[in-house]
Amino acid sequence: MTFGSLVRSTLVVILVLVIQSTLGLDLHFWGAHPELIWLLPVASGLVAGPARGAFIGFGAGLAADLLLPTPFGLSALIGSILGFSTGFIMARTEGSPWWVSMPIAAAGSAGAVMLYAVIGAVLGQEQFIDVSLVPIVVVVAVVNALFAPVAVRLMTWALPSPELRRPALSTGGNRW
Amino acid sequence: MLLSLTIISIDESSHTHYVTAGLRSVASGLFTPLRSGANDVFRPIGDFIAGALDYGALQKENQKLQATIGAMKLQSSEAAFQARQLREITALQHLPFLGSLTTVTAQTTAIDMSNFSASIVIDKGRNEGVAYGMPVVASGGLLGRVTQANHNSAVVQLLTDGQSKIGVTFGKQYIAMVNGQGSSNPLTADFVAPRTPMRRGEVMFTNSLAGAEYPPGIPVGFVTRFRSPQGSSQMSISLEPMANLNTLAYVDVVQWEPTP
Repeated sequence: MTFGSLVRSTLVVILVLVIQSTLGLDLHFWGAHPELIWLLPVASGLVAGPARGAFIGFGAGLAADLLLPTPFGLSALIGSILGFSTGFIMARTEGSPWWVSMPIAAAGSAGAVMLYAVIGAVLGQEQFIDVSLVPIVVVVAVVNALFAPVAVRLMTWALPSPELRRPALSTGGNRW
Repeated sequence: MLLSLTIISIDESSHTHYVTAGLRSVASGLFTPLRSGANDVFRPIGDFIAGALDYGALQKENQKLQATIGAMKLQSSEAAFQARQLREITALQHLPFLGSLTTVTAQTTAIDMSNFSASIVIDKGRNEGVAYGMPVVASGGLLGRVTQANHNSAVVQLLTDGQSKIGVTFGKQYIAMVNGQGSSNPLTADFVAPRTPMRRGEVMFTNSLAGAEYPPGIPVGFVTRFRSPQGSSQMSISLEPMANLNTLAYVDVVQWEPTP
């Protein structure tokens, strides 16, 4: 990853964190608020593959952990798994249309929330699995699906190196 | 993944937890101005989406009024508790009632940062005398305690959080443990023997047992349901917090630290 990519990625992470901690916390649906941070590992996995996806996921998660009252490092762990998984799975579906990022973001975010709850409970935060998980999973998945194309655009800007971009990502038209 | 697990281990260990706490404190100091500025931009959008165009100003004014009512309600409840305690047991002791303790008034800057924890962030921290473990009260009762004190901000774990456990007293000096069950769930009380005299609306107060994490006499919650299940060694009790958790714009941090 080049220095420029690192700076741009950092800016994107900060932007998403600011939006999450302001607008994101103001929006409550059925007692749950969106978790936009999971968009970053998904988008970076889609744009740059499993290794960069895991790296961005780790960084974004760690940045989120700095602001959360939950176990430090937990979001980083989930973010890296999510970024890697997304990149690994999508490596087999090159040339997909742009809207594919939406169901991928929904599924990835839903998985991330559930994994977060389970690993959190293993780490002694039993209340993570006592909360009403269904509304959280639904809200996070739907909101992240809606914003997935924007996140992919942002990560495409942040990680523009040609060698990182798969052929389908650099084409215009109806591709992302 | 290994790096993440290492970081989690560092955070969980009591010997090295200060490293991650320090990082969080520094990050909070850097991020708070950014969030504050962004709030001015995004808050109106959030309010609009929440349902009303000019909702923000009215909401703020309403929250101030609610805070005033809450403070009066708190004083009233405390007075009743103090009178009862003075009559019964504490006449012979000098307990640090809330009324004699100093408080730091803080404004809430964020509510429920995570979907998995019930917490708020306030705009006062170590520089203003806020320290780890200090109780926080608002709108008629106990709100929670400080679980992270940064330079200019602090994180307050609400009493509804799943990790919250509060020693309480009620009735004729019965004691119990009130547990949080998550933001949208009622509180529960444990360790109350079956058929203990109780009524709906009964208020539970923080107790004065040695080593308690709160000063005595702060209203915690009122009983909404109770029953003695067949064959159970304790009653099943549900409570609602005395504090109005919907109006958390302003809170008071009680400058009281538990005695070891």
